[in-house]
Amino acid sequence: MLLKTKQLSKSFGGLKAMNKVDFELPKNEIRGIIGPNGSGKSTFFNLVSGIYDSDPGSYIEFDGHDITFTPPHEIASYGLSRTFQLLRLYQDMTVINNVMSGYHTRVPYKFFDAVIGRKKIWDQERAIKEEMMELLSFVGLADYAELNASELSGGQRRLLVLARAIAMKPKLLMLDEPAAGLSPVNVDNLMKIIMQLKEKYGLTLIIIEHILKVVMDTCNSVTVFDHGQKIAEGTPAQVKDDNAVIEAYLGKKMDDEEMRKALAV
Amino acid sequence: MEKFKSVIRDYPFIAFIIAFVILAFVPSVVFTDVYQSHLATLIFVNIVVAAGLNIVKGYCGQVTVGHVGLFAVGSYTAGTLFLYLGLGFWVTLPIAIIVTAFFGVAMGIPSFRLEGPYLALATLGGGEAIRLFIENGNFFRSTFGISDIPTPSLMGFNFDSPDRYYFISMTVMIIAVYFSFSILRSGVGRAFMSIREDPICAAAAGINVKKYKILAFILSAMFAGAAGAVYAHMPPGYIHPNNYTVIEMVTFLAMVVLGGLGHIWGGIIGAIVITIVYDLTRPLYKYQLLIFGLTIVLTILFMPKGLGGFIDRYFLEKRFKKKTGTEKT
Repeated sequence: MLLKTKQLSKSFGGLKAMNKVDFELPKNEIRGIIGPNGSGKSTFFNLVSGIYDSDPGSYIEFDGHDITFTPPHEIASYGLSRTFQLLRLYQDMTVINNVMSGYHTRVPYKFFDAVIGRKKIWDQERAIKEEMMELLSFVGLADYAELNASELSGGQRRLLVLARAIAMKPKLLMLDEPAAGLSPVNVDNLMKIIMQLKEKYGLTLIIIEHILKVVMDTCNSVTVFDHGQKIAEGTPAQVKDDNAVIEAYLGKKMDDEEMRKALAV
Repeated sequence: MEKFKSVIRDYPFIAFIIAFVILAFVPSVVFTDVYQSHLATLIFVNIVVAAGLNIVKGYCGQVTVGHVGLFAVGSYTAGTLFLYLGLGFWVTLPIAIIVTAFFGVAMGIPSFRLEGPYLALATLGGGEAIRLFIENGNFFRSTFGISDIPTPSLMGFNFDSPDRYYFISMTVMIIAVYFSFSILRSGVGRAFMSIREDPICAAAAGINVKKYKILAFILSAMFAGAAGAVYAHMPPGYIHPNNYTVIEMVTFLAMVVLGGLGHIWGGIIGAIVITIVYDLTRPLYKYQLLIFGLTIVLTILFMPKGLGGFIDRYFLEKRFKKKTGTEKT
Protein backbone atom coordinates (compact mmCIF):
# COMPACT_ATOMS: atom_id res chain seq x y z
CA MET A 1 0.00 0.00 0.00
CA LEU A 2 1.38 3.38 -0.94
CA LEU A 3 -1.00 5.38 1.20
CA LYS A 4 -2.94 4.12 4.16
CA THR A 5 -5.04 5.97 6.72
CA LYS A 6 -6.68 4.51 9.78
CA GLN A 7 -9.39 6.21 11.80
CA LEU A 8 -8.44 9.52 10.21
CA SER A 9 -10.39 12.27 11.97
CA LYS A 10 -10.35 16.03 12.06
CA SER A 11 -12.77 18.33 13.78
CA PHE A 12 -13.01 22.09 13.63
CA GLY A 13 -14.73 22.99 16.86
CA GLY A 14 -17.86 20.88 16.89
CA LEU A 15 -17.79 20.13 13.18
CA LYS A 16 -16.39 16.76 12.26
CA ALA A 17 -14.80 17.55 8.92
CA MET A 18 -13.31 14.09 8.71
CA ASN A 19 -14.74 11.22 10.68
CA LYS A 20 -12.80 7.97 11.13
CA VAL A 21 -11.85 7.38 7.54
CA ASP A 22 -9.96 4.24 6.58
CA PHE A 23 -8.38 4.64 3.21
CA GLU A 24 -6.01 2.44 1.28
CA LEU A 25 -4.35 3.11 -2.01
CA PRO A 26 -2.10 0.62 -3.83
CA LYS A 27 0.66 1.70 -6.17
CA ASN A 28 -0.06 2.69 -9.78
CA GLU A 29 -3.72 3.24 -9.19
CA ILE A 30 -5.76 6.22 -10.28
CA ARG A 31 -8.21 6.94 -7.51
CA GLY A 32 -11.03 9.40 -7.93
CA ILE A 33 -12.54 11.13 -4.93
CA ILE A 34 -16.02 12.56 -5.30
CA GLY A 35 -18.58 13.96 -2.96
CA PRO A 36 -20.74 17.04 -2.49
CA ASN A 37 -19.20 20.34 -1.45
CA GLY A 38 -18.12 20.31 2.16
CA SER A 39 -17.92 16.55 2.30
CA GLY A 40 -14.27 16.56 3.37
CA LYS A 41 -12.41 15.90 0.14
CA SER A 42 -10.02 18.81 0.44
CA THR A 43 -9.72 18.26 4.19
CA PHE A 44 -8.58 14.75 3.40
CA PHE A 45 -5.87 16.16 1.13
CA ASN A 46 -4.78 18.71 3.71
CA LEU A 47 -4.55 16.04 6.39
CA VAL A 48 -2.54 13.65 4.27
CA SER A 49 -0.14 16.32 3.02
CA GLY A 50 0.36 17.61 6.55
CA ILE A 51 -1.12 21.09 6.15
CA TYR A 52 -3.62 20.27 8.91
CA ASP A 53 -2.76 18.25 11.99
CA SER A 54 -5.09 15.30 12.35
CA ASP A 55 -6.93 14.58 15.59
CA PRO A 56 -5.44 12.18 18.13
CA GLY A 57 -6.11 8.57 17.28
CA SER A 58 -5.57 9.03 13.57
CA TYR A 59 -2.89 7.22 11.67
CA ILE A 60 -1.48 7.99 8.24
CA GLU A 61 1.16 5.95 6.52
CA PHE A 62 2.82 6.83 3.25
CA ASP A 63 5.26 4.54 1.48
CA GLY A 64 6.25 2.86 4.73
CA HIS A 65 6.69 6.09 6.71
CA ASP A 66 4.39 7.06 9.54
CA ILE A 67 3.49 10.62 8.56
CA THR A 68 0.70 11.29 11.04
CA PHE A 69 2.50 14.14 12.78
CA THR A 70 5.16 14.89 10.19
CA PRO A 71 5.44 18.50 8.96
CA PRO A 72 4.45 19.07 5.32
CA HIS A 73 7.92 19.68 3.92
CA GLU A 74 9.11 16.32 5.21
CA ILE A 75 6.09 14.54 3.78
CA ALA A 76 6.90 16.15 0.45
CA SER A 77 10.44 14.85 0.66
CA TYR A 78 9.08 11.29 0.93
CA GLY A 79 7.58 11.82 -2.52
CA LEU A 80 4.08 13.12 -1.97
CA SER A 81 3.08 16.04 -4.14
CA ARG A 82 -0.20 17.86 -4.37
CA THR A 83 -1.96 20.72 -6.09
CA PHE A 84 -4.43 23.09 -4.51
CA GLN A 85 -7.99 23.87 -5.40
CA LEU A 86 -7.16 27.59 -5.45
CA LEU A 87 -3.93 26.90 -7.35
CA ARG A 88 -1.66 28.90 -5.03
CA LEU A 89 0.49 29.88 -7.95
CA TYR A 90 3.62 31.90 -7.20
CA GLN A 91 2.19 34.93 -9.01
CA ASP A 92 5.24 37.15 -8.88
CA MET A 93 7.75 34.58 -10.08
CA THR A 94 8.53 33.63 -13.64
CA VAL A 95 6.98 30.48 -15.03
CA ILE A 96 10.31 28.65 -15.09
CA ASN A 97 11.06 29.66 -11.50
CA ASN A 98 7.64 28.37 -10.47
CA VAL A 99 8.45 24.97 -11.87
CA MET A 100 12.03 25.01 -10.58
CA SER A 101 10.86 25.76 -7.06
CA GLY A 102 8.87 22.54 -7.25
CA TYR A 103 12.22 20.82 -7.74
CA HIS A 104 13.36 21.85 -4.27
CA THR A 105 13.38 18.41 -2.64
CA ARG A 106 15.64 17.09 -5.37
CA VAL A 107 18.19 19.92 -5.39
CA PRO A 108 21.47 18.05 -5.01
CA TYR A 109 23.81 20.67 -3.54
CA LYS A 110 24.24 21.98 -0.01
CA PHE A 111 23.61 25.50 1.22
CA PHE A 112 27.27 26.37 1.75
CA ASP A 113 28.16 25.40 -1.79
CA ALA A 114 25.53 27.87 -2.89
CA VAL A 115 26.93 30.65 -0.68
CA ILE A 116 30.41 30.19 -2.06
CA GLY A 117 29.00 29.86 -5.57
CA ARG A 118 31.09 26.95 -6.77
CA LYS A 119 31.08 25.96 -10.43
CA LYS A 120 29.32 22.71 -9.66
CA ILE A 121 26.29 24.71 -8.48
CA TRP A 122 25.85 26.50 -11.75
CA ASP A 123 26.28 23.29 -13.71
CA GLN A 124 23.63 21.60 -11.62
CA GLU A 125 21.35 24.62 -11.81
CA ARG A 126 21.61 24.58 -15.60
CA ALA A 127 20.84 20.87 -15.66
CA ILE A 128 17.77 21.47 -13.48
CA LYS A 129 16.65 24.31 -15.72
CA GLU A 130 17.03 22.17 -18.83
CA GLU A 131 15.04 19.35 -17.28
CA MET A 132 12.33 21.76 -16.19
CA MET A 133 12.18 23.39 -19.63
CA GLU A 134 11.59 19.93 -21.03
CA LEU A 135 8.73 19.47 -18.61
CA LEU A 136 7.35 22.88 -19.55
CA SER A 137 7.42 22.10 -23.24
CA PHE A 138 5.72 18.80 -22.45
CA VAL A 139 2.75 20.65 -20.96
CA GLY A 140 3.06 23.30 -23.68
CA LEU A 141 4.27 26.34 -21.74
CA ALA A 142 7.87 26.55 -22.99
CA ASP A 143 7.26 29.83 -24.84
CA TYR A 144 6.09 31.51 -21.65
CA ALA A 145 9.00 30.42 -19.47
CA GLU A 146 10.31 33.92 -18.79
CA LEU A 147 6.93 35.55 -18.17
CA ASN A 148 5.42 36.11 -14.76
CA ALA A 149 2.98 33.42 -13.73
CA SER A 150 0.32 36.09 -13.15
CA GLU A 151 0.30 36.78 -16.89
CA LEU A 152 -0.92 33.33 -17.84
CA SER A 153 -4.51 32.47 -18.73
CA GLY A 154 -6.66 30.28 -16.50
CA GLY A 155 -6.03 27.12 -18.49
CA GLN A 156 -2.30 27.76 -18.65
CA ARG A 157 -2.21 28.27 -14.90
CA ARG A 158 -3.76 24.85 -14.37
CA LEU A 159 -1.03 23.35 -16.53
CA LEU A 160 1.68 25.26 -14.70
CA VAL A 161 0.45 24.08 -11.30
CA LEU A 162 0.46 20.54 -12.64
CA ALA A 163 4.02 20.93 -13.93
CA ARG A 164 5.16 22.38 -10.62
CA ALA A 165 3.71 19.44 -8.73
CA ILE A 166 5.38 16.96 -11.09
CA ALA A 167 8.77 18.68 -10.83
CA MET A 168 9.68 16.86 -7.63
CA LYS A 169 9.13 13.48 -9.33
CA PRO A 170 6.60 12.37 -6.73
CA LYS A 171 5.49 8.83 -6.06
CA LEU A 172 1.98 10.00 -5.31
CA LEU A 173 0.36 13.00 -6.92
CA MET A 174 -2.81 14.39 -5.41
CA LEU A 175 -4.78 16.68 -7.71
CA ASP A 176 -7.43 18.90 -6.16
CA GLU A 177 -9.94 19.68 -8.89
CA PRO A 178 -7.43 19.90 -11.72
CA ALA A 179 -10.08 20.68 -14.29
CA ALA A 180 -12.23 23.19 -12.42
CA GLY A 181 -13.29 26.03 -14.65
CA LEU A 182 -11.95 24.56 -17.87
CA SER A 183 -13.91 24.24 -21.10
CA PRO A 184 -14.72 20.66 -22.21
CA VAL A 185 -11.99 20.68 -24.88
CA ASN A 186 -9.40 21.85 -22.37
CA VAL A 187 -10.55 19.24 -19.86
CA ASP A 188 -9.89 16.49 -22.39
CA ASN A 189 -6.52 18.00 -23.20
CA LEU A 190 -5.58 18.26 -19.53
CA MET A 191 -6.63 14.71 -18.75
CA LYS A 192 -4.60 13.49 -21.72
CA ILE A 193 -1.53 15.31 -20.37
CA ILE A 194 -2.12 13.90 -16.89
CA MET A 195 -2.35 10.37 -18.28
CA GLN A 196 0.83 10.85 -20.31
CA LEU A 197 2.65 12.15 -17.23
CA LYS A 198 1.43 9.18 -15.23
CA GLU A 199 2.89 6.80 -17.79
CA LYS A 200 6.13 8.77 -18.05
CA TYR A 201 6.85 9.08 -14.34
CA GLY A 202 5.05 6.00 -13.03
CA LEU A 203 2.78 8.05 -10.80
CA THR A 204 0.01 7.01 -8.51
CA LEU A 205 -2.81 9.52 -8.65
CA ILE A 206 -5.62 10.72 -6.45
CA ILE A 207 -7.97 13.07 -8.23
CA ILE A 208 -10.72 15.14 -6.66
CA GLU A 209 -13.05 16.13 -9.41
CA HIS A 210 -16.61 17.30 -9.80
CA ILE A 211 -16.82 16.49 -13.50
CA LEU A 212 -18.12 12.94 -13.16
CA LYS A 213 -17.33 12.05 -16.74
CA VAL A 214 -13.64 12.60 -16.03
CA VAL A 215 -13.77 10.45 -12.92
CA MET A 216 -15.73 7.65 -14.53
CA ASP A 217 -13.54 7.56 -17.64
CA THR A 218 -10.07 7.78 -16.14
CA CYS A 219 -10.13 6.38 -12.63
CA ASN A 220 -9.57 2.73 -11.72
CA SER A 221 -11.47 3.16 -8.51
CA VAL A 222 -13.57 5.79 -6.81
CA THR A 223 -14.03 6.79 -3.19
CA VAL A 224 -17.09 8.79 -2.22
CA PHE A 225 -17.13 11.12 0.76
CA ASP A 226 -20.13 12.66 2.45
CA HIS A 227 -20.18 14.63 5.68
CA GLY A 228 -16.60 13.66 6.42
CA GLN A 229 -17.28 9.98 6.07
CA LYS A 230 -16.45 7.47 3.41
CA ILE A 231 -19.79 6.26 2.12
CA ALA A 232 -18.70 4.12 -0.81
CA GLU A 233 -15.68 2.75 -2.56
CA GLY A 234 -15.20 0.61 -5.63
CA THR A 235 -14.90 0.67 -9.37
CA PRO A 236 -16.63 3.56 -11.14
CA ALA A 237 -19.42 1.25 -12.29
CA GLN A 238 -20.10 -0.04 -8.77
CA VAL A 239 -20.10 3.43 -7.30
CA LYS A 240 -22.43 4.79 -9.94
CA ASP A 241 -25.17 2.39 -8.89
CA ASP A 242 -24.61 2.67 -5.16
CA ASN A 243 -27.74 3.93 -3.47
CA ALA A 244 -25.93 5.91 -0.77
CA VAL A 245 -23.96 7.75 -3.46
CA ILE A 246 -27.00 8.59 -5.49
CA GLU A 247 -28.71 9.86 -2.38
CA ALA A 248 -25.80 12.05 -1.39
CA TYR A 249 -25.19 13.40 -4.83
CA LEU A 250 -28.53 13.53 -6.59
CA GLY A 251 -31.07 13.16 -3.87
CA LYS A 252 -33.10 10.06 -3.03
CA LYS A 253 -34.23 7.67 -5.69
CA MET A 254 -38.00 7.42 -5.44
CA ASP A 255 -40.30 4.76 -6.67
CA ASP A 256 -43.50 5.71 -8.43
CA GLU A 257 -45.64 5.63 -5.35
CA GLU A 258 -43.39 8.01 -3.40
CA MET A 259 -43.13 10.30 -6.40
CA ARG A 260 -46.89 10.57 -6.70
CA LYS A 261 -47.18 11.39 -3.03
CA ALA A 262 -44.51 14.04 -3.23
CA LEU A 263 -46.10 15.70 -6.23
CA ALA A 264 -49.60 15.64 -4.78
CA VAL A 265 -48.61 17.75 -1.79
CA MET B 1 33.04 37.03 -26.49
CA GLU B 2 30.95 33.85 -26.25
CA LYS B 3 33.79 32.07 -24.55
CA PHE B 4 34.26 34.92 -22.12
CA LYS B 5 30.55 34.78 -21.30
CA SER B 6 30.64 31.06 -20.57
CA VAL B 7 33.69 31.48 -18.34
CA ILE B 8 31.88 34.19 -16.36
CA ARG B 9 28.83 31.95 -16.13
CA ASP B 10 30.85 29.13 -14.61
CA TYR B 11 33.08 31.26 -12.43
CA PRO B 12 31.07 34.37 -11.52
CA PHE B 13 33.75 35.55 -9.11
CA ILE B 14 35.87 36.55 -12.11
CA ALA B 15 33.30 39.24 -12.89
CA PHE B 16 33.66 40.45 -9.31
CA ILE B 17 37.43 40.56 -9.56
CA ILE B 18 37.06 42.67 -12.70
CA ALA B 19 34.63 44.96 -10.86
CA PHE B 20 37.13 45.15 -8.02
CA VAL B 21 39.93 46.24 -10.32
CA ILE B 22 37.76 48.85 -12.06
CA LEU B 23 36.48 50.26 -8.76
CA ALA B 24 40.04 50.35 -7.40
CA PHE B 25 40.99 52.88 -10.05
CA VAL B 26 37.94 55.07 -9.54
CA PRO B 27 39.34 57.26 -6.71
CA SER B 28 42.53 58.19 -8.53
CA VAL B 29 40.92 58.64 -11.95
CA VAL B 30 37.40 59.97 -11.35
CA PHE B 31 37.23 61.58 -7.92
CA THR B 32 38.32 65.18 -7.56
CA ASP B 33 38.28 65.53 -3.78
CA VAL B 34 38.34 63.45 -0.62
CA TYR B 35 34.68 64.05 0.08
CA GLN B 36 33.70 61.97 -2.93
CA SER B 37 35.66 59.03 -1.50
CA HIS B 38 33.79 59.48 1.75
CA LEU B 39 30.50 59.50 -0.13
CA ALA B 40 31.54 56.38 -2.02
CA THR B 41 32.24 54.61 1.27
CA LEU B 42 28.78 55.56 2.49
CA ILE B 43 27.32 54.19 -0.73
CA PHE B 44 29.16 50.90 -0.21
CA VAL B 45 27.97 50.61 3.38
CA ASN B 46 24.41 51.27 2.24
CA ILE B 47 24.74 48.74 -0.56
CA VAL B 48 25.69 46.05 1.95
CA VAL B 49 22.74 46.88 4.22
CA ALA B 50 20.31 47.15 1.32
CA ALA B 51 21.54 43.90 -0.26
CA GLY B 52 20.88 42.19 3.07
CA LEU B 53 17.50 43.83 3.48
CA ASN B 54 16.61 42.71 -0.02
CA ILE B 55 17.18 39.09 0.99
CA VAL B 56 14.76 39.16 3.88
CA LYS B 57 12.23 41.66 2.57
CA GLY B 58 12.51 41.48 -1.20
CA TYR B 59 13.09 37.76 -1.60
CA CYS B 60 11.68 36.15 1.51
CA GLY B 61 8.84 38.66 1.81
CA GLN B 62 9.21 39.20 5.56
CA VAL B 63 8.44 42.85 6.24
CA THR B 64 11.11 43.94 8.69
CA VAL B 65 11.38 47.50 9.90
CA GLY B 66 13.98 46.79 12.56
CA HIS B 67 16.91 46.33 10.30
CA VAL B 68 18.57 49.52 11.42
CA GLY B 69 18.73 47.95 14.89
CA LEU B 70 20.86 45.14 13.48
CA PHE B 71 23.03 47.73 11.75
CA ALA B 72 23.45 49.40 15.16
CA VAL B 73 24.35 46.06 16.75
CA GLY B 74 27.12 45.66 14.18
CA SER B 75 28.43 49.16 14.77
CA TYR B 76 28.30 48.98 18.54
CA THR B 77 29.84 45.52 18.71
CA ALA B 78 32.80 46.93 16.83
CA GLY B 79 32.74 50.14 18.89
CA THR B 80 32.59 48.52 22.31
CA LEU B 81 35.16 45.87 21.41
CA PHE B 82 37.52 48.72 20.58
CA LEU B 83 36.52 50.77 23.62
CA TYR B 84 37.02 48.07 26.25
CA LEU B 85 39.43 45.63 24.63
CA GLY B 86 41.21 47.88 22.16
CA LEU B 87 40.57 45.46 19.31
CA GLY B 88 41.07 46.53 15.71
CA PHE B 89 38.96 46.23 12.58
CA TRP B 90 40.19 42.79 11.50
CA VAL B 91 38.93 41.25 14.74
CA THR B 92 35.84 43.36 15.28
CA LEU B 93 34.44 42.77 11.79
CA PRO B 94 33.99 38.98 12.10
CA ILE B 95 32.80 39.27 15.71
CA ALA B 96 30.29 41.96 14.72
CA ILE B 97 28.98 39.72 11.94
CA ILE B 98 28.53 36.77 14.32
CA VAL B 99 26.93 38.81 17.11
CA THR B 100 24.52 40.45 14.66
CA ALA B 101 23.60 37.03 13.29
CA PHE B 102 22.33 36.06 16.76
CA PHE B 103 20.29 39.24 16.94
CA GLY B 104 18.96 38.33 13.52
CA VAL B 105 17.64 35.06 14.94
CA ALA B 106 15.83 36.98 17.68
CA MET B 107 14.40 39.38 15.11
CA GLY B 108 13.29 36.49 12.92
CA ILE B 109 11.47 34.40 15.48
CA PRO B 110 8.30 36.57 15.42
CA SER B 111 8.02 35.84 11.69
CA PHE B 112 6.91 32.29 12.51
CA ARG B 113 3.58 33.59 13.68
CA LEU B 114 3.23 37.13 12.37
CA GLU B 115 3.13 38.43 8.87
CA GLY B 116 2.69 41.67 6.97
CA PRO B 117 2.02 44.80 9.02
CA TYR B 118 2.02 42.86 12.31
CA LEU B 119 5.52 41.57 11.70
CA ALA B 120 6.53 45.10 10.71
CA LEU B 121 5.31 46.38 14.07
CA ALA B 122 7.11 43.64 15.99
CA THR B 123 10.40 44.24 14.21
CA LEU B 124 10.02 48.00 14.51
CA GLY B 125 9.75 47.45 18.25
CA GLY B 126 12.82 45.23 18.17
CA GLY B 127 14.90 47.78 16.27
CA GLU B 128 13.86 50.67 18.49
CA ALA B 129 14.46 48.61 21.62
CA ILE B 130 18.04 48.03 20.54
CA ARG B 131 18.56 51.73 19.90
CA LEU B 132 17.03 52.76 23.22
CA PHE B 133 19.08 50.14 25.03
CA ILE B 134 22.23 51.62 23.55
CA GLU B 135 21.11 55.18 24.16
CA ASN B 136 20.29 54.67 27.84
CA GLY B 137 23.26 52.66 28.98
CA ASN B 138 26.44 54.29 30.08
CA PHE B 139 28.22 51.15 28.99
CA PHE B 140 27.82 52.31 25.40
CA ARG B 141 28.85 55.93 26.10
CA SER B 142 25.25 56.81 25.39
CA THR B 143 25.07 60.54 24.87
CA PHE B 144 28.65 61.19 23.82
CA GLY B 145 28.87 58.33 21.38
CA ILE B 146 32.03 56.30 20.88
CA SER B 147 34.76 58.28 19.17
CA ASP B 148 38.23 57.69 17.77
CA ILE B 149 37.50 54.17 16.62
CA PRO B 150 40.70 53.42 14.70
CA THR B 151 40.88 52.68 11.00
CA PRO B 152 42.35 49.34 10.02
CA SER B 153 45.90 48.89 8.88
CA LEU B 154 47.36 46.09 6.84
CA MET B 155 51.05 45.25 6.76
CA GLY B 156 52.05 48.70 7.88
CA PHE B 157 49.68 50.49 5.52
CA ASN B 158 47.05 52.44 7.43
CA PHE B 159 43.70 53.10 5.77
CA ASP B 160 43.33 56.29 7.76
CA SER B 161 41.80 58.75 5.29
CA PRO B 162 38.54 58.52 3.35
CA ASP B 163 40.28 57.92 0.05
CA ARG B 164 42.21 55.03 1.61
CA TYR B 165 39.30 53.63 3.60
CA TYR B 166 37.45 53.48 0.29
CA PHE B 167 39.36 50.26 -0.48
CA ILE B 168 38.21 48.58 2.73
CA SER B 169 34.56 49.42 2.23
CA MET B 170 34.77 48.51 -1.43
CA THR B 171 36.23 45.07 -0.65
CA VAL B 172 33.57 44.31 1.94
CA MET B 173 30.87 45.50 -0.47
CA ILE B 174 32.11 43.33 -3.34
CA ILE B 175 32.36 40.22 -1.18
CA ALA B 176 28.90 40.85 0.28
CA VAL B 177 27.33 41.40 -3.12
CA TYR B 178 29.05 38.27 -4.43
CA PHE B 179 27.56 36.21 -1.60
CA SER B 180 24.12 37.72 -2.05
CA PHE B 181 24.22 36.97 -5.78
CA SER B 182 25.24 33.37 -5.34
CA ILE B 183 22.67 32.78 -2.63
CA LEU B 184 19.80 34.41 -4.47
CA ARG B 185 20.54 32.83 -7.84
CA SER B 186 20.68 29.33 -6.37
CA GLY B 187 17.86 27.13 -5.14
CA VAL B 188 17.99 28.96 -1.81
CA GLY B 189 16.83 32.18 -3.49
CA ARG B 190 14.01 30.28 -5.14
CA ALA B 191 12.96 28.82 -1.80
CA PHE B 192 12.89 32.37 -0.35
CA MET B 193 10.71 33.56 -3.21
CA SER B 194 8.25 30.69 -2.87
CA ILE B 195 7.87 31.52 0.82
CA ARG B 196 7.16 35.13 -0.11
CA GLU B 197 4.54 34.10 -2.64
CA ASP B 198 2.79 31.35 -0.71
CA PRO B 199 4.16 29.74 2.44
CA ILE B 200 1.58 26.95 2.50
CA CYS B 201 2.28 25.87 -1.03
CA ALA B 202 6.02 26.19 -0.38
CA ALA B 203 5.69 23.81 2.56
CA ALA B 204 3.74 21.34 0.43
CA ALA B 205 6.51 21.54 -2.16
CA GLY B 206 9.06 20.39 0.40
CA ILE B 207 10.47 23.71 1.60
CA ASN B 208 11.07 23.99 5.33
CA VAL B 209 9.39 27.36 5.78
CA LYS B 210 10.61 28.12 9.30
CA LYS B 211 14.17 27.16 8.54
CA TYR B 212 14.34 29.33 5.45
CA LYS B 213 12.66 32.28 7.14
CA ILE B 214 15.21 32.25 9.95
CA LEU B 215 17.98 31.70 7.43
CA ALA B 216 16.89 34.82 5.55
CA PHE B 217 16.92 36.81 8.79
CA ILE B 218 20.37 35.50 9.75
CA LEU B 219 21.85 36.22 6.34
CA SER B 220 20.50 39.74 6.19
CA ALA B 221 21.61 40.34 9.80
CA MET B 222 25.14 39.28 8.88
CA PHE B 223 25.11 41.77 6.03
CA ALA B 224 23.88 44.50 8.36
CA GLY B 225 26.52 43.54 10.94
CA ALA B 226 29.33 43.75 8.40
CA ALA B 227 28.04 47.11 7.19
CA GLY B 228 27.75 48.33 10.78
CA ALA B 229 31.35 47.42 11.58
CA VAL B 230 32.62 49.08 8.41
CA TYR B 231 30.57 52.15 9.28
CA ALA B 232 31.95 52.29 12.82
CA HIS B 233 35.56 52.13 11.69
CA MET B 234 35.03 54.66 8.92
CA PRO B 235 37.12 57.77 9.54
CA PRO B 236 36.65 59.79 11.70
CA GLY B 237 35.51 56.70 13.61
CA TYR B 238 32.56 58.11 15.50
CA ILE B 239 29.22 56.44 16.24
CA HIS B 240 26.23 57.82 18.07
CA PRO B 241 22.76 56.34 18.74
CA ASN B 242 21.22 59.15 16.69
CA ASN B 243 22.61 57.56 13.55
CA TYR B 244 20.36 54.51 13.99
CA THR B 245 16.86 55.93 14.19
CA VAL B 246 13.69 55.18 12.28
CA ILE B 247 14.75 57.87 9.81
CA GLU B 248 17.69 55.72 8.73
CA MET B 249 15.35 52.75 8.54
CA VAL B 250 13.07 54.62 6.16
CA THR B 251 16.10 55.46 4.05
CA PHE B 252 17.14 51.82 3.88
CA LEU B 253 13.59 50.80 2.99
CA ALA B 254 13.43 53.48 0.32
CA MET B 255 16.60 52.03 -1.20
CA VAL B 256 15.22 48.52 -1.48
CA VAL B 257 11.82 49.64 -2.69
CA LEU B 258 13.20 52.04 -5.28
CA GLY B 259 15.78 49.56 -6.50
CA GLY B 260 13.20 46.80 -6.78
CA LEU B 261 11.92 44.46 -4.09
CA GLY B 262 12.95 40.95 -4.97
CA HIS B 263 15.17 42.04 -7.82
CA ILE B 264 18.71 40.76 -7.55
CA TRP B 265 20.14 44.23 -8.24
CA GLY B 266 17.40 45.92 -6.22
CA GLY B 267 19.30 46.92 -3.10
CA ILE B 268 22.37 47.92 -5.05
CA ILE B 269 20.70 50.27 -7.53
CA GLY B 270 18.57 51.76 -4.76
CA ALA B 271 21.52 52.32 -2.42
CA ILE B 272 23.49 54.16 -5.09
CA VAL B 273 20.60 56.37 -6.16
CA ILE B 274 19.29 57.17 -2.69
CA THR B 275 22.69 57.87 -1.14
CA ILE B 276 23.59 60.30 -3.92
CA VAL B 277 20.18 61.98 -3.84
CA TYR B 278 20.39 62.17 -0.05
CA ASP B 279 23.73 63.92 -0.31
CA LEU B 280 22.65 66.34 -3.03
CA THR B 281 19.51 67.36 -1.12
CA ARG B 282 21.33 68.05 2.14
CA PRO B 283 20.45 71.78 1.94
CA LEU B 284 16.78 70.74 1.94
CA TYR B 285 17.22 68.55 4.99
CA LYS B 286 13.82 69.57 6.36
CA TYR B 287 12.09 67.92 3.44
CA GLN B 288 14.28 64.87 3.01
CA LEU B 289 12.02 62.51 4.96
CA LEU B 290 9.04 63.80 3.03
CA ILE B 291 10.89 63.10 -0.20
CA PHE B 292 11.81 59.56 0.81
CA GLY B 293 8.32 58.78 2.05
CA LEU B 294 6.89 60.02 -1.23
CA THR B 295 9.49 58.03 -3.15
CA ILE B 296 8.38 54.81 -1.46
CA VAL B 297 4.69 55.50 -2.04
CA LEU B 298 5.10 56.60 -5.65
CA THR B 299 7.42 53.73 -6.51
CA ILE B 300 5.01 51.18 -5.09
CA LEU B 301 2.13 52.80 -6.98
CA PHE B 302 3.72 53.28 -10.37
CA MET B 303 6.74 51.00 -10.46
CA PRO B 304 5.92 48.11 -8.10
CA LYS B 305 9.08 46.24 -9.02
CA GLY B 306 11.31 49.28 -8.73
CA LEU B 307 13.98 50.45 -11.12
CA GLY B 308 15.40 46.95 -11.47
CA GLY B 309 12.06 45.46 -12.48
CA PHE B 310 11.44 48.36 -14.83
CA ILE B 311 14.68 47.74 -16.72
CA ASP B 312 14.07 43.97 -16.75
CA ARG B 313 10.61 44.46 -18.19
CA TYR B 314 12.02 46.48 -21.08
CA PHE B 315 14.48 43.78 -22.10
CA LEU B 316 12.00 40.98 -21.52
CA GLU B 317 9.45 42.55 -23.84
CA LYS B 318 12.09 43.01 -26.48
CA ARG B 319 13.10 39.37 -26.24
CA PHE B 320 9.52 38.13 -26.22
CA LYS B 321 8.78 40.13 -29.37
CA LYS B 322 11.83 38.70 -31.08
CA LYS B 323 10.96 35.14 -30.12
CA THR B 324 7.27 35.04 -30.92
CA GLY B 325 6.92 37.94 -33.30
CA THR B 326 3.95 39.26 -31.37
CA GLU B 327 3.35 42.16 -29.09
CA LYS B 328 2.97 41.21 -25.43
CA THR B 329 0.32 43.30 -23.83
